[in-house]
Amino acid sequence: MKKTAIGLYVIVTIALMVWGYYQAIYVAPDEQTMHEVQRIFYYHVPTAMLCFLFFAISLVGSIGYLGCRRGRPDWAQAFDAVALAGAEVGVVYCTVVLITGPLWGRRAWGIWWTWDARLTTTLVLWLIYVSYLLLRRFAAGPQMQTMAAVLGIFGALDVPIVYMSNRWWRTQHPAPVFGGGEDSGIKDPAMLAAFGWNVLAWFAWGVLILALRYHVERQSQKIAAQEAQEALEA
Amino acid sequence: MDERAILDHQFTVAAYAATWVIQLGYLVWLGLKWRAQKRSQSSHSHDS
Repeated sequence: MKKTAIGLYVIVTIALMVWGYYQAIYVAPDEQTMHEVQRIFYYHVPTAMLCFLFFAISLVGSIGYLGCRRGRPDWAQAFDAVALAGAEVGVVYCTVVLITGPLWGRRAWGIWWTWDARLTTTLVLWLIYVSYLLLRRFAAGPQMQTMAAVLGIFGALDVPIVYMSNRWWRTQHPAPVFGGGEDSGIKDPAMLAAFGWNVLAWFAWGVLILALRYHVERQSQKIAAQEAQEALEA
Repeated sequence: MDERAILDHQFTVAAYAATWVIQLGYLVWLGLKWRAQKRSQSSHSHDS
């Protein structure tokens, strides 16, 4: 039953990815000023939105770990796996954002990069979570989990700053697509549909890899606990 | 197709390809990690 549900979810996710791609490349019309290169937007913006979501999941995991580490160590380990999975998937999505953005910028602005508020805060966010993953990779023990949880919480503080950066400061980065005032929003229904399908597709994909990463981490926690128990008994 | 349109096309293809390489690369890495974990689990259970 569980295997069938997972198989169905994978099939639906693949179908959504193919449909999203088809909508973005073949259905959505060419934008009048940027032409074809604007189609990068259909991957860049959904992945940017979803990287915030995965970092928020990591934040919940980090807070949960700190809250449960003394009273409920079993829950704390599960929260820690959530925090790690959220951070790792968030970094993957943020990497996509930091690569697709400059590719668009080179054609639209004539430059690969500029140190404006949106780009800089996004790079800082990526660096914080890469350091979170490096900490987890090269340190060990329960203190590492506590330090990682604290770093995860600090990292998440950058998310609202990234989100608000092109509202608070004048940036070269385009104005917010949604929630940026009366002029924001996608006016063309075909463009809006292509955008919406890609948000859904990348969300489904992200949940899939997040669940897989969580499962792998839980398994490695169990193996580590088993090995520690055997070492004590020997 | 003029030169601008060709460049636009190349940059769009590069962005889509980079996205897929990163996402699928991560999935492959996860799959390898999972497989190694399963192997170590099964050899561990054989030992004990």
